Amino acid sequence: MTVGATKYIGRRVRRREDPRFLTGATRYVDDLELPRMLYAAFVRSIHAHAAIRGVRAERLVGQPGFVSLLTGAELADSVKAIRCDARFPGFKGTDWPALAWPRVRFVGEAIAVVAAANRYVAEDLVDLVEVDYEPLPVLVDPEEAAKPDAPPLHGGWNDNVFVDRSTSAGDVHHAFSSAEYVFEGTYVMHRHTGFPLEGRACIADYSPATRTLTVYSATQIPHLLRTGLADILSFPEQNIRVISPDVGGGFGIKAHLFPEEVALCALALRLGRPVKWVEDVREHLTSSVHARDHRHAIRIAFRRDGTILGVEARVLVDVGAYSVWPWSAALDVGQAGAMIVGPYAVTNYRVRMLGVATNKCPLGPYRGVGRPAACFTIERALDDAARALEIDPVDIRLKNYIPDDAYPYHHVNSHVYDSASLVASLRKAVAVIDYGQFRRDQERARKEGRYVGIGFAAYIEQTGHTHEFVQRGTPITFSYDSARVSLDPSGKVTVQTSLHSHGQGHETTFAQVAAERLGVPLDDVRIEFGDTRATPYGMGTFASRSAVLGGGAVWKAADIIRKALLRLAGHVMEVSPDDLDVVDGVVLVKGAPHRRVSVAQLARLAFHHTERLPQGMTAADFSTVQIYDAPPGTGAWTNSLHAAIVDIDVRTGVFKILRYVIVEDCGNMINPLVVDGQVHGGAAQGIGGALFEHLRYDELGQMLSPTLMEYLLPSAEEIPPLEVVHLTTPSPFTIGGFKGLGEGGAIAPMATLGNAVSDALAPLGIAVHTLPLTPDRLLALIEEHAQPPEERR
Amino acid sequence: MKPPPFEYRAVRHVEEVVEHLARYGTDAKILAGGQSLIPMMKLRLIRPALLIDINPLHSLNHVRLSSGYLAVGATARVRELESADVRNCCPLVSAAAAHVGHAPIRNRGTVCGSLAHADPAAELPLVAVCLDAEFEAQGPGGRRTIAAREFFRSYFTTALAAEEVLVEVRLRMMPPEAGWAFMELSKRAGDFALAAAAVILERGSSGTIRHARLALGAIADRPIRCWDAEKALVNQEATPDVFRAAAAAATDALDPPSDVHGSGKYRRHVARVLLERALLEAWSRAR
Repeated sequence: MTVGATKYIGRRVRRREDPRFLTGATRYVDDLELPRMLYAAFVRSIHAHAAIRGVRAERLVGQPGFVSLLTGAELADSVKAIRCDARFPGFKGTDWPALAWPRVRFVGEAIAVVAAANRYVAEDLVDLVEVDYEPLPVLVDPEEAAKPDAPPLHGGWNDNVFVDRSTSAGDVHHAFSSAEYVFEGTYVMHRHTGFPLEGRACIADYSPATRTLTVYSATQIPHLLRTGLADILSFPEQNIRVISPDVGGGFGIKAHLFPEEVALCALALRLGRPVKWVEDVREHLTSSVHARDHRHAIRIAFRRDGTILGVEARVLVDVGAYSVWPWSAALDVGQAGAMIVGPYAVTNYRVRMLGVATNKCPLGPYRGVGRPAACFTIERALDDAARALEIDPVDIRLKNYIPDDAYPYHHVNSHVYDSASLVASLRKAVAVIDYGQFRRDQERARKEGRYVGIGFAAYIEQTGHTHEFVQRGTPITFSYDSARVSLDPSGKVTVQTSLHSHGQGHETTFAQVAAERLGVPLDDVRIEFGDTRATPYGMGTFASRSAVLGGGAVWKAADIIRKALLRLAGHVMEVSPDDLDVVDGVVLVKGAPHRRVSVAQLARLAFHHTERLPQGMTAADFSTVQIYDAPPGTGAWTNSLHAAIVDIDVRTGVFKILRYVIVEDCGNMINPLVVDGQVHGGAAQGIGGALFEHLRYDELGQMLSPTLMEYLLPSAEEIPPLEVVHLTTPSPFTIGGFKGLGEGGAIAPMATLGNAVSDALAPLGIAVHTLPLTPDRLLALIEEHAQPPEERR
Repeated sequence: MKPPPFEYRAVRHVEEVVEHLARYGTDAKILAGGQSLIPMMKLRLIRPALLIDINPLHSLNHVRLSSGYLAVGATARVRELESADVRNCCPLVSAAAAHVGHAPIRNRGTVCGSLAHADPAAELPLVAVCLDAEFEAQGPGGRRTIAAREFFRSYFTTALAAEEVLVEVRLRMMPPEAGWAFMELSKRAGDFALAAAAVILERGSSGTIRHARLALGAIADRPIRCWDAEKALVNQEATPDVFRAAAAAATDALDPPSDVHGSGKYRRHVARVLLERALLEAWSRAR
C-alpha cells in the first residue's frame, strides 16, 4: 500500500500533546498521590563485589516514620530472581535478585528497601542500616574478566563469558589471501547511557480486598512488565494492572523489568499499602542500566581501488554484572556483530561476538543498540583505510555501498534489507555541504595553520522488525503490536494502543493515521495508551517500531470501522457501500455529495437503534482490535547519512562543530515534524555521547561519575544547528510504506565526529580510535604526534 | 537526594546571623542563593544543623559603583553583574559573570555566596583575586576588611571565621584605558572551568607595559595571582614572544589537581595557553 493524496498522513501536524507537556500539566508517576502511601528508599552496595554477611536494622526500630525494611534474604523465600536467558547455545544466564543476596556484584546494586512516611525519612533511615560486607575480588577490565583463569562472577559459571558466538559467511580466507591491502584497527566505544529527563519511578499498590496489584511505572513496556512481574512474583497476571502515565523519555532505558519494581511490589504485598519510589540522579547513573561499552578489533581486506573483499571482526562488550530482562546479555553484542558491515556490500564476513560479565551496572539497550559502536568502527575504519589507500572517503563509500537498486538485499549478516538509499543519501549530503568547495577551503585553512575537517558516516537501521527477533535469541519474540479502534455513540473515535508514547508523539501521529483512514476530523480521534486494563496486549515502544507496527495496526483497525460505517450508511441510504465515501466525518454518495449522513448519526443508530442495522450487524462491529506484525517480519530499513565539519584548536584540543548535515530516509513519513524532532533528539544524544557522556569506574569498580557534575549531558548550547534533509524510499513491505526512525539520529554522530576530527588532524597523522572526544584526550594525541616519531612512546 | 534534617531561621538583621553563627559555629550554614549549598545537602556531602536564610536582608542587596570600587552586598545576585552599568565600569567582572552556570543559576546565586563558598574553579573568586577585592566580614566583634590575597585559603576554605558573615565585597575598578581579558575553558557552557585566566594590562606612555595583573583559576586549591610574571612584564615591549614567555613562566611550576574532567597536566597546559591568549587580547584592548 502506498500513500496517495492525503489529508493528514504526511502533514506537519503540530503535536497535540505538546500543550500538556509545555505547560507542566502532565501527570508523571511522581505527581500521583495515593491514600496511605509510603515512600521507599534503597540501601545500595558500596562495594563492587562482596559477600553480604548480614543486614542489620536494629537502629531503625522506633525511628519516627519507619514502617518496614525488606532485605534480600527475606525476599529470596517468596520472589524469584530476574532471569533472562538468550536462546543461544552456551549462553550463560544470571539470577539477579531484586534485593541482592547473598552477594553484591556492582556498586549501587539494591540490597534492602526501606518504607517510610516520606522520602526524606526513608533516606535518613537508609543511612542507619548497617550492611556487613566481605569484599571479593573485583573484575573491571572485560579483557581480564574474559580470561579463563579469572574468578567466575556467578555460581555455576566456569568463566565470565555470557555469550561467545561466531558466524562466518562467504570465503573469508580467500578474501584476505587475495587482498592487495589489509587494514587492521581497534575501536573503542565508551560506556554511557540514555538518561531520560524523568528517571525511573514506580508505585506498587496492593489491594487485599480485591487481591489486585496495581503498578504505576514510568515504563515503555506496560504489558511486558505485567507479564514479567506475574512470573517473578508468582502472582496471577489477570490481577495485575500496570499503568504507565505520562513518561518523560525512555530511550530503551525504561524498557526493562527492574529489581526496584519487583522489590516495591513485594513491599506493597507485605504491607497492603501503596509504596512509591522515584529514583534520584545518583541511582539512575549507578543502578539503572548502562549502555555501549564496546571494543571492536576489525580487519578489512581491500583491493587497491578500495573495494572491500572481506571483513573479520571481534566484538567484545562489557555487559556488566547481570543479564537484563527481556533483552538478555546477548543483545548489544549480536547487534554490533551483525551491523559492523551494515551499509556495505560485503560478501565475506566472519565475526566473533563476546559478551563479558564484570562488576559493573548491567548493560541494556539504549537508542541504537549496538549500532552506534558498529557504525563508529566501520566508518572510522573506512576513513583510516581510505587515508592509507589515498582514496577520498566519499569515493571509498560509493564504491562499497549496497547500490540503491539492489533491494530487497540479502546481506551476508543474514538480514534482509527491504529498501534503502545509501548512495543517494551520500550524494545528497555531498551536494548540500558543497564538498568540493570544502576541500578547497580546507587546503587554504591548513596553510593558515587551522585544522578543519569533515566526516561522513552512514547507517542502515532495521526498524519495525518482528519475527526476526528469533535471530537475536531474545526469550520473547517481540513480534506484533496492537490497536483497538472504537466508535462511540456520538460518532467520536477512541484508539487504544499497546504502544506507549513518551516523546514519540503518538497522540498526534496515530490520530493522523486513524483520521485519514476513517475519514473523520483529527479532533474527533482520541489516543489512549499506557494502561494494561484499557489497551490490548502488545510489546510496547522500543526498537523504532511504533510508526510501523502501531501505524499499521491503527490503519488496519480504522479500515475495518470505516467499512462497517459504509455498510451501515449504504443500508440506511439504500445505496451500495462501494458508491460511498467518508469525508470529514460525513458519509457521501460519490458524485452526489448532497446525499449524505454523518458519522455521528450512524453511530447513534449503531448503538441506540440497533433495529435499523443491516442483517447480522451489531454494535460490536464498531470496535475492533487489530494486530500488525509487518510481514515478513525482517524489518523496514531506514538509512541515514550524517556529515559534520569541525574546527579544532590544536593548542587546547577543543573543537567546534561548524556544520552538521543529516540526510534521513525513513520512507513515507506520517508527520515530518515528528520525524525532524526524532532526528534532532537522537543526534543530540549521539553528540552528547561523542563529546561528553562517560560512565567511568576505577580499578575497584567504584563509580567515578555518579552525579551530573561528572556525567555531562549536552545542553542546547552544545548542539549545533542541525540541517535535516529528507529522502523518501517507502518500504515495500509495510502498511503505508512507513519505516521507523526513533533510534537513528543517535547512531551516527560518534562516527561522524570521529571522522571529522580525524580528517582535521590528518596532517598530524592522527586518527581517533577511542571515545569520547574530550579536549584532554585530543590534546594528548596532538602532543604525542607533534613530537618527532623517534621520540614517541 | 533529599537533605538530612536541619533547622531553618530566616533573619532580619545581620546581627542575628552573627548570633546564630556564634552559637552553632561550623554546624550552621548561610543560605543565600543556595546554588551550591542545596545540592551538597541533597547529596548529603554536608549536613548543617542550621540554615540561616539571609535573603530577607534587603539592605545587603546592593550593587554600587562608587569611588573606584564596585561594592556588592551579601544578597546581590550574580546576574546583576551583567548589567550595562557594571559592564561599562568593570567589563572584566561582567565577562566573568557570564561564565557562571546558566542564567537561572545567576538569577538565584549570589556574588558573595560564590566567594564565600570558595570553589577554586569558580569565576568570581578568580576575578576578586585579579581585582584586589576587599572582603567585608562581620563577626561578634564588629566588622573587619580582608584583602583578596588573604581571603582564599584552600579548597572551599576562606579567612572567614566560623562566626563571621561576608556582608560585602568591594572589587577595585580598573582604569578605563586598561585592557582586560577573561578566558576559560570548560567542557560545556556554564560548567566550572578546567582552567581560567583573568588579565589586566595598562599601557605606558612609551607603548610598553606599565602595569599587569594576571590571575589563574581552577589550577590550584584557590585562585592565584601570578606575581612574578606581573613584575617581569612591567616595562616590557608587548610582543607575542614576551606574552608567551610570561604565560610559560607563570604556569610552569603549577601542579593542578586531576579529576574526571581533565588531568593536572592538561589543566596546566590549558592555563598557559589561555593566559597567553588573554594577554594578547587584553593588550589589544589597552589604550
